[in-house]
Amino acid sequence: MSSALVTAPGSVPTLSVIAPLFNEVQNVRPLVAWILQALEPYAGTFEIILVDDGSRDGTWNEVLAAAADNRVHGLRLGANVGQTAAMMAGFDNARGEVIVSLDGDLQNDPRDIPALVAKLDEGYDLVCGWRQRRQDKLLLRKVPSWLANRLIRRLTGVPIRDNGCSLKAYRRDLLNRISLYAEQHRFIPALSASVGARITEMPVRHHARRFGESKYGISRTLKVLVDLITLKMITTFRSRPLLGFGLAALPPLVVAAIFGALWLFSLTHFGPIKATALVFPGAGLLTLGVAFYLIMLGLVAEVALNSERGDANDIPNAWEVR
Amino acid sequence: MSAQGILMEPTSNSSKSGAAADTGLISVVVPVVERADDLLAVYHAFAKELGARPEDHEFLFVFDGRFTPPPELMALAVENPGIRVLRFARSFGETAALRLGIEKSRGDLVITIPAYFQVQPEGIKLLLDAVSGGADMVVASRSPRLDSWLNRVQSRAFQSIVGGVSEQRFHDMACGVRVMRRSVAEALPLYGDLHRFIPALALREGFRVEEVSIPQHPSDARTRVYRPGIYLRRLLDIATFFFLAKFTEKPLRFFGLVGSLFMGMGAVLSLVLLIQRVEGQGIANRPALLLAVLFMALGVQLVGLGLVGEIIVHLRAPHRRAYRVRERV
Repeated sequence: MSSALVTAPGSVPTLSVIAPLFNEVQNVRPLVAWILQALEPYAGTFEIILVDDGSRDGTWNEVLAAAADNRVHGLRLGANVGQTAAMMAGFDNARGEVIVSLDGDLQNDPRDIPALVAKLDEGYDLVCGWRQRRQDKLLLRKVPSWLANRLIRRLTGVPIRDNGCSLKAYRRDLLNRISLYAEQHRFIPALSASVGARITEMPVRHHARRFGESKYGISRTLKVLVDLITLKMITTFRSRPLLGFGLAALPPLVVAAIFGALWLFSLTHFGPIKATALVFPGAGLLTLGVAFYLIMLGLVAEVALNSERGDANDIPNAWEVR
Repeated sequence: MSAQGILMEPTSNSSKSGAAADTGLISVVVPVVERADDLLAVYHAFAKELGARPEDHEFLFVFDGRFTPPPELMALAVENPGIRVLRFARSFGETAALRLGIEKSRGDLVITIPAYFQVQPEGIKLLLDAVSGGADMVVASRSPRLDSWLNRVQSRAFQSIVGGVSEQRFHDMACGVRVMRRSVAEALPLYGDLHRFIPALALREGFRVEEVSIPQHPSDARTRVYRPGIYLRRLLDIATFFFLAKFTEKPLRFFGLVGSLFMGMGAVLSLVLLIQRVEGQGIANRPALLLAVLFMALGVQLVGLGLVGEIIVHLRAPHRRAYRVRERV
């Protein structure tokens, strides 16, 4: 799937800039102009990859027009697959050793790209943008985002303050190690950390939306919460699921023991009464069943893991110190 | 924003069948399952329509185990190399028959038709024209319909349930008359009983799907009433499709939702019991405690299942892409 784009005359670019677009017809032209202008001082060669994520408003025609410049490439996806998959499409087709992603809605500032790339060259695998003076609605965007970031930070221990910013710079090696799916673009820092990437963040500019509409709503909060459970499971127990499920089986075991103790207590103190003889042992057995069930599930997960093993991607990221 | 495709294996992208696609050839796949009328009449009617076109055509009859190829057809196949007859040793169903037909076919375009007259054969022209117009797949919609109201109600119910999941509304997904490009036919994730959802599957894979109205054939208009078991299977098919469409990439969202519902009920019940216990009412002799524990146990089990699903999805992720590139510049 990762066949390179038709090679433009000249060498392979060192930097690939990726912008996913969904119904951004008015933003394409200014975005491309802005990126080109911002990369004027960039020393190496670069390419811009515009990913049209199944837009229905003529975005693709704008991309075609922009692609007249041979540094600009366009990918048109067959259906609207969401930001994560659109970014993956860009990553898979990027040729640069360094890859930068940014939003297609002009809210990120391309003038920050050279600084991000310079930071990456200081010896990082991932540099995350950290939006300063965010220009979004307070209640709908900033508050949920603040909460989500705190939660992600607590749960994963990765000290990144703005997980939701699309403006990021990646080293190619890192992207080869992580595969994003569903809506995991928010968790790129945590997933990268779990494969051993060196991560940092730096302040970037943020602008209010000029054209078009935001594609986010508050309904995603619950989804993000569920996804966080998955993230925790994947980042912590990816290579040893039985441990995770075994730990999860401990509380039911304790509860089962309590019910057992209650049963013994009521037997010895009140004698064998018919109704009493059923409830506590029944509840105890149920919870015991849950504990066993969880351990069995852990074994199933181990079987799944075993059948998929053998990818080089399993080896954590490392670098030669000297 | 959340339209996630059914995941496609990157390998299915390249033509995996040994035979290279023939650009001047149309393959007609006829799965002979469930119902077979006069196959020769079907063949002659459609061959006549296709014969008027510049492209060559071939017919592949795929017989499910329950059907034996009629001798007249075999005789015709012997003298006409454009007719191929394939047969399963036992019954594998329509999806398997379609897959086999697609794999053995060589044409650049693949047409599927049922083994009886579902639509007027003249209509096939319209489908082929729509494909020339740029669509990746064109499906027929029987209209005007001659069926009894019972058939229409059944069909309507099916469409409305499926329509809730699919992005584009199809009026007649049950119609077996379709024209598709070879690339689409090979990329379809066909297994189980998913053939009923072919247009929706193609759409999710990122192909352009169009619908063309073709008048229904009178012989398709008999009233169909099935055994209750069949309706149950249809419902399960819909459930499968619904789950695949919505949650293949994030099983925990489904299992987590149902699981936390149960856990919530269990927690509320336990809380009530706890309050009553504090107020002095014993709980040792109350089966309600069992119910509360049962609910919570169920909830934990469902969430656990969802987590295993997530692990499997995560492990498969490096081999899989949720997008399809339609054009590049």
